[in-house]
Amino acid sequence: MTDPLEVHDLLKVDGVTKRFGGLTAVKNASFTLKKGEFTGILGPNGAGKTTLFNILTGFMQPTSGTIHFNGDLVRELAPYKVVNRGMARTFQLTRPFVGMNLLENVLVACMSPRASEDKNKEERASYLLAQVGLGGRDKEPVETLPYGDLRRLEIARALATRPDLLLLDEPFAGLGSSEIEQLAQLIRRLHREENLTILLIEHKLREFMALVSRVIAMNFGEIIAVGPPEEIVKNEKVIEAYIGKTEEAHASA
Amino acid sequence: MKRIAPIDIAGGILVVAFLALLPMFAASNYLTGVLTVCVIYGIWASSWDFMSGLTGRENFGHSLFIGAGAYTAGFLSSIWSANPWVSLPLGVVIAIAFSLLVGFPTLRLRGPYFALAMLSASAILQRLCLIFWEYTGGEEGIYGLDPLMKNPLHYYWFVLAILAVTVITLTLLARSHWGLLLRAIRGDEATCQAAGINVTFYKIVSLMISAGFAGLGGALYAHYQLQVSPPLFSVVVSITVIIMVYVGGIGSIYGAAVAAILLTLLTEMLRGFGEYRLWIYTLTLMLILFFLPNGLIAPLWRRLTERLR
Repeated sequence: MTDPLEVHDLLKVDGVTKRFGGLTAVKNASFTLKKGEFTGILGPNGAGKTTLFNILTGFMQPTSGTIHFNGDLVRELAPYKVVNRGMARTFQLTRPFVGMNLLENVLVACMSPRASEDKNKEERASYLLAQVGLGGRDKEPVETLPYGDLRRLEIARALATRPDLLLLDEPFAGLGSSEIEQLAQLIRRLHREENLTILLIEHKLREFMALVSRVIAMNFGEIIAVGPPEEIVKNEKVIEAYIGKTEEAHASA
Repeated sequence: MKRIAPIDIAGGILVVAFLALLPMFAASNYLTGVLTVCVIYGIWASSWDFMSGLTGRENFGHSLFIGAGAYTAGFLSSIWSANPWVSLPLGVVIAIAFSLLVGFPTLRLRGPYFALAMLSASAILQRLCLIFWEYTGGEEGIYGLDPLMKNPLHYYWFVLAILAVTVITLTLLARSHWGLLLRAIRGDEATCQAAGINVTFYKIVSLMISAGFAGLGGALYAHYQLQVSPPLFSVVVSITVIIMVYVGGIGSIYGAAVAAILLTLLTEMLRGFGEYRLWIYTLTLMLILFFLPNGLIAPLWRRLTERLR
């Protein structure tokens, strides 16, 4: 029996823990995402954000805990199966198919079972490239693409699998400020127009806070705070994780 | 689907026509026989290239499928006296069965497991042929297969037609959306997974296709030699096929077929050099692979026809 109040939970993470030997990368993480929400995971480097993403998308198995997506248990599903349930991701270090052009890179994802209703694959891939601002460049080789465009390509590939939930792993890392602004606009537009639920990892505070409506803050593998951005920036634990303790605290310690 | 350029179609027709007419100019059963073997190697090399060239998962035991097809023909035709034409479809089926046996457990894994498993599987089958000599004839193998056709020239043309069908089928597959996925697997398996693609499934099916054509080639070879013996399973056969693909230009399929024909011819022409034959052959290969890491045939053809595309 599903609790009627939980019907709108698209993603329900319950007590997820991941240990690598003696290191606990994710410690007892629990949270839910509602349909249409735009949530961000905030945390300094090494806080366990990417590990959490890898667990959600099936690239890693959690040591313990459960993950429900659209009401189904997705733990122990292969990554491609998770994608075909409607959870798509991008990689922090972009991983295009080298030796293929932009269109072919997106075409691969248009071949996924979830995209089986898109009969004209080329047309669909071309449309998606235009959607992410790479229109008219179908035949360009992927090798010459600047970083910002590679991130767009990653997003187009993820969209090709017609996701309900899009997980973006540090989409702004390594980009200049004008590129960040354009990419942020794209992500905002996708959230608004495509009815996407988005979970975004970032540690660049400013861009992040302007985008998301809810923040899950992590440090040393643990969720330390959940709330709207304006509350999170005032949260003591978050400030401590980011800036460290105040001088008085150090002095007294 | 990527269109095949008219110049490639024209080139293909010319090569096949040339090969078909070649025995007419110097009518000798010896030449026809050599050409038949050349063309069969073409089937083996292009079938290897389809799976391994496109997905990048190197198969070091293609002889497993070749031998499986050949021995199927041997058992059927010689021992069970079946109609020789039954050998071809059954050779394909048995080779595919072997591809599932090795592919299922190993193609899920990344790394060298698949290459090693193929290598060992072919070596094991070669040993099994010797161990169960009562059934397989041991070192001697199986003799007395029925030929498919009485006239060697007709058989050569038949085998050539099968090579043409093989290369056309595999090229069309390689240029389809399917082929795109196989090339994507070569590129990055994790990205394929993130794109919702069942990587293992595509690898196994491409190995089945590759094995099927290799088994067909094996059965054709058996009905040409009219006997089969354990060396068909040997590593030497697998390595020879791989070298042919590399000389042809990996992933091109037609390049593998042409290189297989040329290299088989070369080994025959060097017979006059007696013991120096292997030296010359090996040195030629080393020079080609050292100076032309992308291969010889396919890059050369692309460069020659660049302006006509």
